[in-house]
Amino acid sequence: MPIGGFIVNVHPDHLENSIRDLKRISGLEVYGSDEKGNVVVVLEADSSKAMEEMVEKIMKMENVLSVGLTYFNVEDEIEIQEEQGKKTIH
Amino acid sequence: MGLSRREFLKRTAALTAASYVGINLPFKNENTSQASDADSWHKGTCRLCGAGCRLELGVKNGKAVALRGISDSRTNYGYLCMKGMLFYKLMGYNNPDRLKKPLYRKSKKEPFKEISWDEALNIAAKEFAKAVKNHGNNSVAYYGSGQALTEETYLFQKIFRGGLRTNNVEGNPRLCMASAVGGYLTSFGADEPIGSYTNFERASCFFIIGSNMAEAHPVLFRRVMRRKLDNRETVKVINADPRVSPTSRIADLHLQFKPGTDLALLNAMAHVIVKEKLYDETFLKNYATFRMGKKKEVSFEKYKEFLKDYTPEKAADICGGNITPEKIRTAALWFAKSEGTVSIWTMGINQRKRGVWANNLIHNLHILTGQLCRPGADSFSLTGQPNACGGVREGGGLCHILPGHRLVKKDKLRHQVEKLWGIPQGRIPPKPGYHTIAMFEAVNLGKIKAIWINCTSPAQSLPNCDKYRKGMSREDVFMVVTDIFPTKTTELANLVLPTAFHFEKTGVYGCTERRSQLTVKAVDAPGEAKPDVWIVREWALKLSKELNDPVIKKCVEPFLGKEPDYELPKAIWDEYTQKLTKGRDNDLRGATYEVLKKLPDGVQWPAPTKEWALKGGTDIKFVRGLDPLADKHAKDQKPYQFYGPAHPDKKLWIWLRPQRGPEEMPDSDYPFYLSTGRVIDHWHTSSMTGRIPELMRANPYAYVEINPKDAKKLGIKPGDMVEVASRRGKNILPAKVYVGPCEGMVFVYWHDQKESRMINRVTKDAFDPGSKEPEFKICACKIRKVSGPKPLKPFLVEMKT
Ligand code: SF4
Repeated sequence: MPIGGFIVNVHPDHLENSIRDLKRISGLEVYGSDEKGNVVVVLEADSSKAMEEMVEKIMKMENVLSVGLTYFNVEDEIEIQEEQGKKTIH
Repeated sequence: MGLSRREFLKRTAALTAASYVGINLPFKNENTSQASDADSWHKGTCRLCGAGCRLELGVKNGKAVALRGISDSRTNYGYLCMKGMLFYKLMGYNNPDRLKKPLYRKSKKEPFKEISWDEALNIAAKEFAKAVKNHGNNSVAYYGSGQALTEETYLFQKIFRGGLRTNNVEGNPRLCMASAVGGYLTSFGADEPIGSYTNFERASCFFIIGSNMAEAHPVLFRRVMRRKLDNRETVKVINADPRVSPTSRIADLHLQFKPGTDLALLNAMAHVIVKEKLYDETFLKNYATFRMGKKKEVSFEKYKEFLKDYTPEKAADICGGNITPEKIRTAALWFAKSEGTVSIWTMGINQRKRGVWANNLIHNLHILTGQLCRPGADSFSLTGQPNACGGVREGGGLCHILPGHRLVKKDKLRHQVEKLWGIPQGRIPPKPGYHTIAMFEAVNLGKIKAIWINCTSPAQSLPNCDKYRKGMSREDVFMVVTDIFPTKTTELANLVLPTAFHFEKTGVYGCTERRSQLTVKAVDAPGEAKPDVWIVREWALKLSKELNDPVIKKCVEPFLGKEPDYELPKAIWDEYTQKLTKGRDNDLRGATYEVLKKLPDGVQWPAPTKEWALKGGTDIKFVRGLDPLADKHAKDQKPYQFYGPAHPDKKLWIWLRPQRGPEEMPDSDYPFYLSTGRVIDHWHTSSMTGRIPELMRANPYAYVEINPKDAKKLGIKPGDMVEVASRRGKNILPAKVYVGPCEGMVFVYWHDQKESRMINRVTKDAFDPGSKEPEFKICACKIRKVSGPKPLKPFLVEMKT
């Protein structure tokens, strides 16, 4: 289950409404914001693909200026492997 | 356990995101690590950057289980970044990849075989002795690290210089802060910053140039960010960088200049300051002179004349990007008029063909405006490694310097060292050894026959590294590598010696702000891994026999019989501080292990006495009443005394330094600028951070950042595989399309160990003629899309035995 940390930039004049709209998306948590319109958002999804779809949806929202990924954890999906592949780091 | 794994990850995600925009969340990382319960907590320093954050290691059943910040430490006040919070996962038996046995192979084509320590040290002694006997003393070399403890660097260089009679002593700090050293010496007459981090809480203007401190020094950035956010109206932040980075997010003004035009920008700021009479006349009269050369003093009038080529209009033309004359004026005005301005820079300034000059021009602005020595004002270079300052700059870890900021070429200073070591006069050769690039050039040419590489991976970290990997692969070059993990460099070694890691041994790190901090052993090293100081001592004894040279033994005599975990490093520290720093500007006699253990953080030199050291040492150098040496060396009644050893006139020097571009400019064949740097989760060659799953998973491989306008022109979409090629080599990397680098420039993270993503195969090995620091930050490249997105796997070197 991937987890992503995002900065969603919303129009500062519509900060409160935008946060309310964001909070309606399931799997999305708002952790903080500032008056410049930066909103700290964490997304949880079933797969990377599902997360991409959530991001698409957020991008299309009114007053959202940009969505920036800053942290992405897919530890269930990734195996850290040596080139020939074998060893997994736990 | 206070937190579930998922909750931990979510918090990490939120904290990381928040740090990018300077938002403070109501929780911090330290709480999460406190959630792990431990039997005992042990004080030490973080190892993963030059900030010097203090922390406590939690140990349970002899195993490292957690880290947490120390809240009364003046470096970090308890805060840690993700790297700092997680590096306990590399300690003891926590990590399956640790090197645990000495490994040897006669030919670099053979697989390694495990051998005993006795055999290993015999081989090392025989090979170095053979090289010396057959090819002379300068056919051997040491290449060390800003991550080695001071005791380690000091002992290695003592054996090489005093024992093996060569100044071929270098280290990776040449690659990161040599230009800063050159800048401090030529501008202020003394190496290392005048002030401390405490200025961050007192500054009204920050000028951050060529530094992405938000990712490279996150905890220090936090201090800057807090200062700004708590004083939005009164504190100004100027960020000057060809790339918009997470650091730019808190800036009031972002100066995005074309790579390599920084000197013009800085001169133009000086132009405005002089033209608008924003300079501090009294300060200049009392403390400054103007220079064109070391011996060539010029007048203020001549400097004004020189600056005529750098009107904001002319500079804006040169700088390109988003630079306008108005922006330059605003920056200069904020800089000069603020009650305290702190400049902060790292590799963007240092890793330049004219890195020393760029450093000089920043210092110029501070000298002109008198923005020095008072609260909130400083010209402050950040260091990348935890002990580049303490161990290498102060401990004699470069080819031209001896311990205690002494120059090799000064007979008097060299003889002082010989006398303090009790070895015959003339034992240390008068000529400096090879600097880093020259050293590996000499390896390429087969002039160096035996080299000891300690705690660093030049096979990945040297610019244009393929060229130097050829030399390191030569069968007639015997290579010893001491390290904790397999690296691109152990792949080329004959002998790999496993060392104890941080907290598995004892010693001192000296961070960016002249602060020495002790870390005492808390857990056992895995397998047969040994403290480096034990390795050097035992090797030196064998070497002394092989070469039938009692002076080599003499170099380790004071340390014989001491147990290696505490007594041995303590004896080395005592010799270094009590004898070698006595009477020098980095006087550390007060900073004994006993004193260092008493303090939550450590001691800032000068600290000639224990009483002074127990107060924390010297916060601001050169100020009477605040710096004991300023009082001691005072030659008049003025409040500031610039007693630095390099300026006979005891003045600060304002330099006339013209604009100079990079060595390699984009052209029709290679139309893009290539720059490189870090990403928050990884450090250097990722031999450590790559083995912390939380960090590796967050950033499993390197990217190339491409400006959206360039990406559009070239039909490159996010995730596409892109070839980045220079005249030297190429990489194939996934694209990150992003308004980071300016148009015409691409940016690549340099941590990835996968050969096809190792960007130093592409970078250029031109270097600054003064500091000999390579120009990692700028070269010319071309880019093209190779394919659509490909699934990629992270990669780490493994040891094949
Ligand atoms: S900022 Fe540097 S020293 Fe501080 S915790 Fe992070 S890596 Fe360690």
